Amino acid sequence: MEEQRIGVYVCQCGTNIAKVVNCEEVVRALSEQPGVVVAKTYKYMCSNPGQEMIIADIQEHGLDRIVVAACSPRMHEPTFRKAIQTAGLNPYFVEMANIREQCSWVHDDPQVATDKARALTFGALHRVAKHEPLERMSVEMCPDVLVIGGGVCGMTAALELADGGNHVYLVEREGTLGGNVARVDLTAPYLDSARDLITALVTRVEEHKRIDVLVHSQVSSLEGFVGNFTATVETIWGDGASVSQFRVGNVVVATGYKEFDASRVVHYGYGKLPNVITSFEFEKMLRAGRIQTKEGKIPQYVAIIHCVGSRSKEFHTYCSRVCCMTALKYAHEVKSAIPNCYVSDVYIDMHAFGKGHEDFYKRGSEAKTLFLMYAKNDHPVIRKAGPGDDCEMLIEVNEKLSGEQIEIPADLVILMVGMEAREDSDAVARLVNISRDKDGWFIESHPKLDPVATTTDGIYIAGVCAAPKDIPDTVAQARAAAGRILAKTIRGSIEIDAVFAEIDEDKCSGCRVCNALCPYSAITYDASKKKSTVISAVCKACGACVAACPSGAIKARHFTDSQIFAQIEGVLT
Amino acid sequence: MAIRVNPKLIDELEVYGAEDVQNCYHCGNCSAVCPFSKEPYIFPRRPMRYLQMGLEDKLKGSLEPWLCYYCGQCSEECPRGAEPGETMMSLRRWLTSKYDFTGISRAFYKSGKVELFTVIGAALLTALGFVLWAVLRGGDINSYDGPNAFLPAASIHIFDWALAGVLLALLLTNCGRMWWFTLGRDKQLRTPFWLYLKKLYLLPLHFVTQKRFATCERKRPWAVHLALVVSYLIMLVLIMFFLDLMWSGPEIDWRVHVFGYIATVGLLGTTIFALRARLKKAEPLYAHSHETDWIFLILLIFAAFTGILQHILHRVGFDAAANVTYIVHLMGVVPMLGLEVPFSKWSHLAYRPLAMYFSAIRAEAKERAEKEAVEPTLAAQPVA
Amino acid sequence: MSYEPKIVGFLCNWCSYTGADLAGTSRVHYAPNIRIIRVMCSARIDPTFVLKALREGADGVLICGCHPGDCHYSEGNYKMMRRYPLLKKMLTDFGIEPARVRLEWVSASEGQRFAEVVNDMTQRVRELGPSPIQQTLAQDMAER
Repeated sequence: MEEQRIGVYVCQCGTNIAKVVNCEEVVRALSEQPGVVVAKTYKYMCSNPGQEMIIADIQEHGLDRIVVAACSPRMHEPTFRKAIQTAGLNPYFVEMANIREQCSWVHDDPQVATDKARALTFGALHRVAKHEPLERMSVEMCPDVLVIGGGVCGMTAALELADGGNHVYLVEREGTLGGNVARVDLTAPYLDSARDLITALVTRVEEHKRIDVLVHSQVSSLEGFVGNFTATVETIWGDGASVSQFRVGNVVVATGYKEFDASRVVHYGYGKLPNVITSFEFEKMLRAGRIQTKEGKIPQYVAIIHCVGSRSKEFHTYCSRVCCMTALKYAHEVKSAIPNCYVSDVYIDMHAFGKGHEDFYKRGSEAKTLFLMYAKNDHPVIRKAGPGDDCEMLIEVNEKLSGEQIEIPADLVILMVGMEAREDSDAVARLVNISRDKDGWFIESHPKLDPVATTTDGIYIAGVCAAPKDIPDTVAQARAAAGRILAKTIRGSIEIDAVFAEIDEDKCSGCRVCNALCPYSAITYDASKKKSTVISAVCKACGACVAACPSGAIKARHFTDSQIFAQIEGVLT
Repeated sequence: MAIRVNPKLIDELEVYGAEDVQNCYHCGNCSAVCPFSKEPYIFPRRPMRYLQMGLEDKLKGSLEPWLCYYCGQCSEECPRGAEPGETMMSLRRWLTSKYDFTGISRAFYKSGKVELFTVIGAALLTALGFVLWAVLRGGDINSYDGPNAFLPAASIHIFDWALAGVLLALLLTNCGRMWWFTLGRDKQLRTPFWLYLKKLYLLPLHFVTQKRFATCERKRPWAVHLALVVSYLIMLVLIMFFLDLMWSGPEIDWRVHVFGYIATVGLLGTTIFALRARLKKAEPLYAHSHETDWIFLILLIFAAFTGILQHILHRVGFDAAANVTYIVHLMGVVPMLGLEVPFSKWSHLAYRPLAMYFSAIRAEAKERAEKEAVEPTLAAQPVA
Repeated sequence: MSYEPKIVGFLCNWCSYTGADLAGTSRVHYAPNIRIIRVMCSARIDPTFVLKALREGADGVLICGCHPGDCHYSEGNYKMMRRYPLLKKMLTDFGIEPARVRLEWVSASEGQRFAEVVNDMTQRVRELGPSPIQQTLAQDMAER
């Protein structure tokens, strides 16, 4: 075998790596290794000058393998693959050593971190020597899209896609479109009618010739891979049910949320005290146009309690993001309906981060809403008032801004229930093969740089199913997901990763252990040849079959035994 | 025991001038910028919070409003236009009405009309009383002093002292109530008698020098106020102790009159300054004017002008005119002193030094209590 | 200098490797003894990888995958889960303390947990001392 010519590039990432890892020392150690022709360190390897430096070195020194010791390969592997491809190398001839996320950011002793960075880079060096050239495949991209969920998010995505010329299947579990926003009266902070907003969307969706709306329906299975999914949808009609199947290239998951069950917070007495209601029950009251107690009286004191189920150790630690402005909207609506009513707003913090929110908060103050602050995990307690009191209930709070233990009179208490992942989010995640975080929200590909894509190609998430957000953010995400899909489908085909399993027919004994093991049924058995074969487009490269094959006949491309062995040797030298 | 929130109090305070307190979201900028806000008296934020929540008892026991001189820096720094300075001013008005047991003060602050009519009524009664008395005892309208004087100085002097006695009695009662609200009824706080003696010097000190006011960053309001107070005090001393000398004439008795002129210039100058500033809303302190502020200033300027006129008329020999002017002067002075001192803005001449005095007592008593709470635990620790 | 063990970590790409990256972005510090090797799924981890690592001088091997039910490939982690007891048994037969190899589930959102797992693993292996394999290998070499 011809001797390899390897280039090693150690990134300083500004000071992110260099402030802990002695990059010069890593370069020095690597440059002494056999096969290493060039070893360099640079401030930002991913920058244009950084990439150009690598490209120039490849051409000048005739390098055929590249090691980049920098950030996580999840971040910049595509960047460097593209760079070396530009220089004429096979894109799989680069290997990254993760010396930022898994070294400089988690260790502070410079000597220890430098040693570890050197070991990780050795691992990459040994591995890259074993890399093989791989070719990517191009497959047809079906332009049709499946949108799961018919709320504001799903409808917006569907319209954007259909307007762009793609056919959309919009699947909604309920009998009508609209989702949770259809249960709301006005929206904050501009007090537009939610009904108008929903009606406009529903009308357009239903009239659109490229949107098939399937209500009372659920996706029961999704098979295939990006560009070539097959979706099976079950629709229930009265007492009958029907099943439809169609091909789609991409999927938008817009399944939204459910509201927190207020009865779980025992000290609020929800379900026991008749005039303690949830925000959605109050919306119903507002939509009916009459604010009153269960006894039909006009309340003199209304209290609003924030963060019910949100921002607490017991229930959910996250903020549900829309409740603060909704609470201010209630204060506004109560005051305009009953001018002599006193509104108390009991909060932990007022989160008024969005456009127009701070002004809306000030309007709430000007209208003499009494804002009272309670501490996280030191909840208010609601009890029935005595016969001598001029109110129905009393809310006891350890009020933080005054430092006083107080009680607030109330005739009607509105609990601002937070958002929660739907109970079937787990099933949905499995259906479309994406992951959920600790709270049950779907995980995006990258929280900052790629918020609507997921780790599964062709599956996009938008709206609250990814995390609580308000209507503008939801709409933005819906359109972002639609935009991503449109940009991909416009090319008509898609390149898929060259990383998949392949079976060496000479070694295969035809035992069929792998056939049953494959979660995607990507391995078929040729009875005449008594051999198994992998359908490469369906294979997702997990490597389960590789590790299980008793004959060692299956190779995981780019994750071969010899590559991993080499890396083990490298990190342990 | 939890304190009941009263969301209605904020509405009640509106007539006292606190119109923007609801805008406060407790960033604390006001208390940070205030040169007087120090533990244990953090303001304006704390009293503003009590007001928003309607904790009436806490407010009634607060000395903080009196520790503020309304330099207005807090209102300028307020990001939300909550007017903390004006809120403190309103709280002073409200506290004045709470200290006053007669309810007159409350009626005045709640309605400028009631105050105005009371002042006019008192003025008319004063005129009627003095004219009737002079006529019945056979006073000569053309005679200003001497045995036939229309209004003899000696009698007026007696009247002055009587009026002063009534005012003092009313004011002292209200001061007693102030003590009860802020110190007396607090069972947790131990305030031994010697502490009251130890801090007693603060009363005359603050009354005369307005020392605390001088520490404000803006010096002009303090200077104006000091000029007003000094002029007022000079005038008070002249009238209460040297009225007979002041009365004589027509030649000028420089021993007393020179002081009278100084005081007059002071009173007139500061009053005109204040009126102009309030009209132009020149400083934050003058940006908001309650009806009682206008009545107060108008009475003051009225008394000053009639006083000057009467003095001139007597000196140039128009005694009849001087007598009439004097009645008119009394029509201003009697309501001003009789109504404004115990029931309205002027009462702060007593409450402010008292607040300084009480706050020093309270702070030291609190400090002692905290020390005592720490010491036993120290003593309990084994000696190493 | 005190004994510092060498640990090789095999982490699945979708959950645990991402979780380890999250520990980095969240600046959660942990013991530096671990050298991470990325595989697509814990099901890819051939027992020979573990043996190879121990032979090459690792004192411990940490295997991390998605939590059961959360596998990116639906059920790959179950395969690792079934393989793991057999692997432990084999190690015992070889005279290697089974505690040197450990299987943990770390999700993409569990940066903190990953750090805790690594710290705990490092501490345990440190208590076990250097791997007996190196000694055996040295003896073998001497006998030959």
